[in-house]
Amino acid sequence: MSAAAIPVPTAPRESFLTEGYTIASWLTTRDHKRIAILYAIAITLFFFLGGAAAALIRIELVTPRGDLVTADTYNKLFTIHGVVMVWFFLIPSIPATLGNFLVPLMIGSREVAFPRLNLLSWYIYVLGGIFTVAMLVAGGVDTGWTFYTPFSTMFSNTHVVWAAAGVFIVGFSSILTGLNFIVTVHRMRAPGMTWFRLPLFVWALYATSLILVLATPVLAMTLTLIVIERVLHIGIFDPALGGDPLLFQHLFWFYSHPAVYIMVLPAMGVVSEMITCFARKRIFGYRFMAYAILGIAAFGFLVWGHHMFVSGQSVYAGMVFSMLSMMVAVPSAIKVFNWTATLYKGSIVFTAPMLYALGFVGLFTIGGMTGIYLATLAADVHLTDTYFVIAHFHSIMVGGSVMAYLGGIHYWWPKITGRRYSEAWGRVAAIVIFFGFNLTFFPQYLLGYLGMPRRYHEYAPDLQVLNVLSSGGASILAVGYLLPLLYLGWSLFKGPPAGPNPWNAKGLEWTTDSPPPKENFREPPLVTEPPYAYDPEHPER
Amino acid sequence: MNSPPPVRVYILTWLALMALLAATFTLAHFRLGAANTAVGLAIAAAKVALVGLFFMHLRRASALIAIFAVATLFWLAILFGLSGTDYATRRIAPAPWSAPEGH
Amino acid sequence: MSARPDVVPVDVPWRRETASLGMWIFLATEVMFFGVLFLAYTHARLADPQGFAAASRLTHEWLGTINTAILLTSSLTMALAVRSGWAGHRALVIRLLWATAFLGAAFIAVKLVEYRLEWRDGLVPALHFTYSGPHARAVQAFFFLYFVMTGVHAVHLTIGVALVAWLALRDRDPSHPVRRRETAECLGLYWHFVDGIWIFLYPLIYLVELWR
Repeated sequence: MSAAAIPVPTAPRESFLTEGYTIASWLTTRDHKRIAILYAIAITLFFFLGGAAAALIRIELVTPRGDLVTADTYNKLFTIHGVVMVWFFLIPSIPATLGNFLVPLMIGSREVAFPRLNLLSWYIYVLGGIFTVAMLVAGGVDTGWTFYTPFSTMFSNTHVVWAAAGVFIVGFSSILTGLNFIVTVHRMRAPGMTWFRLPLFVWALYATSLILVLATPVLAMTLTLIVIERVLHIGIFDPALGGDPLLFQHLFWFYSHPAVYIMVLPAMGVVSEMITCFARKRIFGYRFMAYAILGIAAFGFLVWGHHMFVSGQSVYAGMVFSMLSMMVAVPSAIKVFNWTATLYKGSIVFTAPMLYALGFVGLFTIGGMTGIYLATLAADVHLTDTYFVIAHFHSIMVGGSVMAYLGGIHYWWPKITGRRYSEAWGRVAAIVIFFGFNLTFFPQYLLGYLGMPRRYHEYAPDLQVLNVLSSGGASILAVGYLLPLLYLGWSLFKGPPAGPNPWNAKGLEWTTDSPPPKENFREPPLVTEPPYAYDPEHPER
Repeated sequence: MNSPPPVRVYILTWLALMALLAATFTLAHFRLGAANTAVGLAIAAAKVALVGLFFMHLRRASALIAIFAVATLFWLAILFGLSGTDYATRRIAPAPWSAPEGH
Repeated sequence: MSARPDVVPVDVPWRRETASLGMWIFLATEVMFFGVLFLAYTHARLADPQGFAAASRLTHEWLGTINTAILLTSSLTMALAVRSGWAGHRALVIRLLWATAFLGAAFIAVKLVEYRLEWRDGLVPALHFTYSGPHARAVQAFFFLYFVMTGVHAVHLTIGVALVAWLALRDRDPSHPVRRRETAECLGLYWHFVDGIWIFLYPLIYLVELWR
């Protein structure tokens, strides 16, 4: 960041935050920036709800015997952890908060294409959330977030219908968000903002939106069918009727595998923004990065059967899905290589966002590589349904997506709030989280390899040491997640004004005030530069 | 895009749709084996194409919208096709006590 | 085409194309939504083709065919309504919208008659299913899918009828000329989509081994 004579930034007198102070002005807003903040508050609440479930799980697993909770309660805990974290935290996290706030700013627009639909999507999210919390209070659901038949349709004694309804509802929230972004990016770019001048964050959200729009409806109908089957005791997943329980899995994973790309692509977009800024360098291979994003989105639809290798699906289908799963790793790897090449000979600054970005690259790589093990049909027979799988997907979703989300929150915090947070505490939290994550999940790879099955509240006693390490790590992780609440919250009241561009970053969002005015830009921007026009010879510019 | 299509385009499309409906209904009365389903689906596809091209103005629509329309069908094909790799190659061994009736 | 005008309400073609794109994307979600049911149908039918054929013989193909004709005609009236709006014949738009709504309602009425017949014949799975002939299992599977698919379709159609009626009422007062076209056009796209779903449902439900 630049040193010499810069004027001390002052807060702008007016911004989107000053346009009305009443709750009503917030609850009836059409401002994408306010809607982003509404989402951020909601998903943070759900993050801690899902985290509480995880805490109970990890506490139970400190001892090999099931002595904290009953098996049924344990089943409910991991179910609610999955349902809340996937649908109420991870999927909306970056798109509905950072995406909603930044996409119009980054493309030079005043608003999204359909502002009222945007607000509606938040209300739908809240409604789905209410259903889910009500279901939880009423006793929870124990089918796992995957709702496999025939347990969910025929044998579970818990509130499957409520849970499915809550997820069904929140699905429409994400469909509307995706629809809005696609139309916004196509139709509302500022003059001069061609596709290949877009920040990679916008590319990432565009691709994510395509997935949201094509995959989520399949989940919606599938949940409808299990509700019908559960209520009427008859349905197409019932073998007694000539149906196939595996059809549920095909339909469920047709959505849920692309869903993991919904969770990781926006994170990759955030990482690209942070790495370029804090290496003071243009992204290496911009076009390849953009194509890789689209490739991940498209290929992600072709691999769902790798969740079903041992389910009873045909082994030939397994082979097809295994091959396709190998191929989907290629665009992801291209991105990792390009981030690394961007860092090479960059002028790296280890700010908190950069720490999160670097953490993402490392942990995503590990998660991705362990995914290759799982995609290998024969190896998966040993590893499936063990803690290896859990460690794999948490590496990507927590070590990847959550770290990128936190990094993005820190990176754009000055822009959104107009305040600077304590960089020292930011770095501390990032390091605590990185350390806590590794202590939590690295032992789980070993546990999985050693055969500890997932979704069991007890395990063989000789696996206790690794479990204790993992639970210890989880408590450190919890501290790491609580810290930002404190110092970011503090910065809202006492943080120094940030000014338009505290990081000296490229990108249209940094050309306007912090916080931005309601209409985003005082004059419509005209874009003439390529993206990430950093000058490696003069990194301070 | 400035002047609407003439009314006769719509009327002719409707007549074609009705003719196809009559055709599909009539042909279904003849025993054509596997061709019955194929013909029925082909005629349905033709009807949807007519509705799409002329009633939904796909013929005049931008490339972007045409791409979205085609891509959606392609994505549906992925759902059918890849799950088909399972269903086409699965070997079913029904247990004796649950043998389906009518077999 | 991507250059957005500075003040949005003035540039009507831009608004119309943007709304249209939004509606097409929504229709894409609906295709994937219904697609699940078509996949379930495909799977169930391939598992027992003769059973499905037997079940299809129990449907009322004349009612189904008449309904298809009704819905295709409603697509005509809807498309002509959109066209008339384009050409500026405001009064004609309102009449054609009401014709569309009427035909849509007629479809639903016929469908309800059909459902009643199926109830009378004891063909409603889980609620009133008394069929005990050969292929009873496949017949039950078929009718399960029949009620779910035509039911979800009917819900979409009912929403369409309500929206068409709303539009006909809203626009009977000629004071919002700029917004009229894009609303009608988007509603038209939705209507044709619902028709399109039925076009595929029709042979799959009514025409299987009709030659018997």
